[in-house]
Amino acid sequence: MLYGWTGKILRVDLTSGAVTTIETERYIPDFVGGVGIAARIAWEELAPGVDAFDDGNMLFLMVGPLTGTLASGAGRVEVLGIAPQQRPSIFSRSSMGGHWGAELKYAGFDGVVVQGRAGAPVYLWVHDGEAELRDAAHLWGRGTYGTTRALRMAHGPQTRVVSCGQAGEAGSRIAVVQTETGNAAGQGGFGAVMGTKLLKAIAVRGTGAVRVAQPRTLLDLCLNGSREGQSPQTFDYRRWMEQRSGGEKATFRMKKCGFCATPCQFTMTHNAELRQGPSVPSVAMQCWGYEQVPRRSDAVTRAMTSDYGLNGWEIAYGIIPWLELCKQHGLIDTLDGIDIPIPDEPILYRRDAVPWPAEAIEALIKKIAFRDGELGDALADGACYAGERLFGGAGADLLDRIYPRRAGQTTHWAGHWGTGGNIYWPHWLPPTLQWCVDTRDPASDSTHQWAEHVMRYIEGNRSPHPGPIPMERVRHVCAAVYGHPDVCDPDITYDPPEVKAIPALWHSHRAMLVNSLVLCDREHSRVFSMLTEDNVADTAMMARLFSACTGYDVTQADLDRAGERIWTLLRALDVRNFRRDRRVDLSSLNAFTLPGRDDGVTLDPVKFERLLDSYYELSGWDRSTGWPTRERLAALGMPDVADGLEDAGKLGGSDRNTRHQDEHKEPEAQTRRPVVVR
Amino acid sequence: MPALPRSGVIVADEARCLTCRECEVACSLLHEDVCSPNLSRIRIEFNDFVADGPSIVLCKQCDWPACYYACANLWDEPAIRIDAATGARCIDPELCHGCGACLRACPLTPERTVIGQRPRERGRVYFKCDLCYDRPEGPVCVAICPGQALTYVPAGERRR
Repeated sequence: MLYGWTGKILRVDLTSGAVTTIETERYIPDFVGGVGIAARIAWEELAPGVDAFDDGNMLFLMVGPLTGTLASGAGRVEVLGIAPQQRPSIFSRSSMGGHWGAELKYAGFDGVVVQGRAGAPVYLWVHDGEAELRDAAHLWGRGTYGTTRALRMAHGPQTRVVSCGQAGEAGSRIAVVQTETGNAAGQGGFGAVMGTKLLKAIAVRGTGAVRVAQPRTLLDLCLNGSREGQSPQTFDYRRWMEQRSGGEKATFRMKKCGFCATPCQFTMTHNAELRQGPSVPSVAMQCWGYEQVPRRSDAVTRAMTSDYGLNGWEIAYGIIPWLELCKQHGLIDTLDGIDIPIPDEPILYRRDAVPWPAEAIEALIKKIAFRDGELGDALADGACYAGERLFGGAGADLLDRIYPRRAGQTTHWAGHWGTGGNIYWPHWLPPTLQWCVDTRDPASDSTHQWAEHVMRYIEGNRSPHPGPIPMERVRHVCAAVYGHPDVCDPDITYDPPEVKAIPALWHSHRAMLVNSLVLCDREHSRVFSMLTEDNVADTAMMARLFSACTGYDVTQADLDRAGERIWTLLRALDVRNFRRDRRVDLSSLNAFTLPGRDDGVTLDPVKFERLLDSYYELSGWDRSTGWPTRERLAALGMPDVADGLEDAGKLGGSDRNTRHQDEHKEPEAQTRRPVVVR
Repeated sequence: MPALPRSGVIVADEARCLTCRECEVACSLLHEDVCSPNLSRIRIEFNDFVADGPSIVLCKQCDWPACYYACANLWDEPAIRIDAATGARCIDPELCHGCGACLRACPLTPERTVIGQRPRERGRVYFKCDLCYDRPEGPVCVAICPGQALTYVPAGERRR
């Protein structure tokens, strides 16, 4: 009997309308679940040359063996596919919390794989082991909120829904896959993939159970597990909430995704709106928000963003400050009649941008959602695509401050443009490495724990508010977790290079594991702890949870190996299908060769290449190309992937392949020269 | 009819509920060895589309338990018994006939009852909150709740 997994993955071919299943057992335990199984299916089925909006693109909504169990963070769902937000579109991932993922498990499935394109708008109705496509003509044109409410009317109030809004229908590259009122798979533009496939929503109701191999062990693990994420030493939520309200009077309520012990969201209802009655939905607020005046209407603009199914992060931290930058450079004056406010000083980092009035933000969101006018049409694809279309391309160079332009996503927790906390040189080098190698903003699952840890826990991090753990203890923790005592040493910069490559890789492997089980990185990628005697976090919890749930007796080292396997497979897919190589990796540096926000330090691109060398070496990838080698692929149990890369002429470590690569120089992948602002 | 001993009860502070539903999963894991909110003896109801907070649906462990009397009236060997230590009104699955008299008698039926049922080899068996009487540390939902929204109040401390 299978424990943990349900054993079936739904496969929906929208072109033919056929709904079939894939046996999960084909992929376990090697690829775990979630991102791992999606990567493997994509490797087997996704042909090179397919673009995000092609019928051949596949959309994966995946859960894992731990989804829907008592393990903390077990409510998440991973969304994968060729992501239109990236430049160029590549196979990438995004994830969201909420209750949909667990409901899918209770309905009897380990994931949904969508392919093809429907002839007319449809939605997928999944319930207790069955699934059918239904006409969605009545839902087309509605927002995610209206769609969710309509499907709950049709299928019962406990139905969980993921859907795309008007933005997704319009093929916006910054459209999200939305669930509930405040959870979305935000980065990647997967809402547009749903929209172009004419798949409006997936509604799920499951009354079944997730079978667990050792119920008592699992219960004990969860009752006695770390509560680090809830500890006030980790995060002062009350202060954060007060900051968010901008000093205005508001009512807060803590909130969480389903099946998680760690609250990381809150809903904010400003007292003015509370009086309007119960029609204002409670919008979950994570770390992002519109800086707007008055602050109290923030809940309204957030709800609009979620309802239209837009990526609020991109609008708040990318598009709005970029428009301000454009105005400072005389490229634009008003937003079709609405004044764009700008600061007197030049904008160097996000903190220099000024808040917009609520009316302007509302107008901008509407323009983007409905592709209204030339401006709205261009901005609906995100600032990176818009930069080339608008103002004769003159605004494109201004993007370098904000974006690694290849990713199409703003930097995040990496010490530069400035979303995320203060992180000081040289601690932003591992995140920079992750930006180079990843297919998306790595902060969501890889960078976060690294960056938050160096900021909040360690002493001597050059921050004005150093953490509580003394350096000697930090070295002990680093030796225990990363296997190298110097990893968090603030005096080590480029040399030795592995000191920066080790944590970059460790956190990426952890991320793959978290994304495959599927859990949340907030609790399960911890390195430091304030609750243990030696400050070393419990890094083996995932293996214990996995063993208890599935009955496979594994060690954390086994699981970490699976994380490496999945990370390497995603790299191989990226190399085979999307021409990923060292040059593409280095093209992310456009955003990091500007002075760091908190420390003014400028990255040395020549020395940085040695860090990348070290990263490749540790990964078992070819140093000159960044392609995985046969030795490492075979050691990870994937000799067939090595064969596939060899057939494509892209296997690392052979002369023939290196020559092959030289024939395919792409001019757009060159590192851009940093732009000097005023 | 002699008065029944009072029962302890789980009290909910809905303002502290974070709607994670870990209580539902813990309950099903302890009682049924699987993770399934559908088999839970506690239920969290919430709707993010309205500004109201969540609603925690729990057994009240009534002083005059209609479920108990319904079962006792119907069967010579009733399935519902009063636990000696906690006073919990418990359904013994071995004795349950699956008639559903308890569910129909519950004054909170239909919207607010947490008497549930699951199929078994022949017919079905009903279940309800038993305050985890055989768990020395007390009810598991109280222990798992990250928001500390649930409190166990023993019979002696229960308010009138």
